[in-house]
Amino acid sequence: MNKRKKSEQIVAETEPIVMEETTPMNNLKSDLEEIKDYEGVIGYILRNSTSAAIDLKDPTKIIEYAIVSSSAFDAGKELSDLFDLDTVKSIIVEGKELKMLCVTLDENKVSVFMDKNASHEKTLRKLQAL
Amino acid sequence: MDDEVYSFALKNALNEIQKICPDIRNSFMFKEDGEIIAADENTPERTIVNVVNALDGLLEKVNALGSIEFVALESSKGKVNLSCINDYYFVTVTSKKADLNYVNTVTRVLIPTIIKLLEKIGPAPFKNNPSRFEIEPEHPRIEEAEATAKRDFEETVPETVEKPLEHEVKSEPLLPEPPVNQLIVENIGGLLVPSDTVRIDNETLLQWNELYGDRNIEEVDIETFGGKSTRCKVKPIKDSKYEGRGVIQMPDKIRTTLEIKKGELVRVKPAVQ
Repeated sequence: MNKRKKSEQIVAETEPIVMEETTPMNNLKSDLEEIKDYEGVIGYILRNSTSAAIDLKDPTKIIEYAIVSSSAFDAGKELSDLFDLDTVKSIIVEGKELKMLCVTLDENKVSVFMDKNASHEKTLRKLQAL
Repeated sequence: MDDEVYSFALKNALNEIQKICPDIRNSFMFKEDGEIIAADENTPERTIVNVVNALDGLLEKVNALGSIEFVALESSKGKVNLSCINDYYFVTVTSKKADLNYVNTVTRVLIPTIIKLLEKIGPAPFKNNPSRFEIEPEHPRIEEAEATAKRDFEETVPETVEKPLEHEVKSEPLLPEPPVNQLIVENIGGLLVPSDTVRIDNETLLQWNELYGDRNIEEVDIETFGGKSTRCKVKPIKDSKYEGRGVIQMPDKIRTTLEIKKGELVRVKPAVQ
């Protein structure tokens, strides 16, 4: 009885981290895997309305990064509406230590996290070429 | 220089920048707390308030990347840039074809230069910067009361409220306003350490003495950011390793009274008799 309860708990804990994989995301994911090897890149978050994929060098930061990524997309949408800027192509948020590049590709929202001094241009070009 | 003049100078600067960079459609500045500092003539206040609200969530959460320095948004019809200059956020909205290198060169050079210049002329709007030597009104509560009174009784009894307050404020016309320093609390202890005396930089004490001439500064008013305050004796720091580091050495008893710990910031000003 105890054993069953324990296994249920483990399932419940791991559930949010399990990534649902869909075909359109797979191509993007393979490109992101490539981007992850770029100098200074520390990980990415890829999500759409049904699934998400997160790959970060420091997994303890997943929630913080997910929140900042989501906030950036929300802010981008609102700014775009306010100034009538139409579709947001990219958002770069630079902090003192790190920067985040957010790109919308169809229904997929990609956030790539990198060191502040890393070049985001190459990553942006790669993502926009998809 | 008061905030109004400061804001006016920045507004003019933003309008001038727009003339040399016609691709800038909107530009404005606001503080971390959302207070609008200045805006060009094309940007209505309502829009800025909406922008501040839109950015609020991001600016709150962005600490995961370290404190914010820059945000750039590119869309199919234009671009939005936000830069952090001192304690201010400076936002520019440009057309799609804008040469961002040129815009950034102009804005990132001109605006900080203007701010530095204004800061030199009159540091009033930088009151919140803890590294600065601050000057606050001698009777902030009286000023607050005066403002409230003016608001509440403007039409009914304005004179009865204002006159006594004015009298109080003007009661020491020859004394300069006491400078307020923000200092970091350090512990001090030992058998021979008086429990009612704090120690601060001798240099600060000398500055105060210079400011008040013959008046000897023997006591200071200490206020915490939690609102606790006390008055106690003051002496110069003896230990040279604490000199010039912006600290106030405080015995246990005073720390307990103020409910603060080592490492916290307090506001300290001379108690002029």
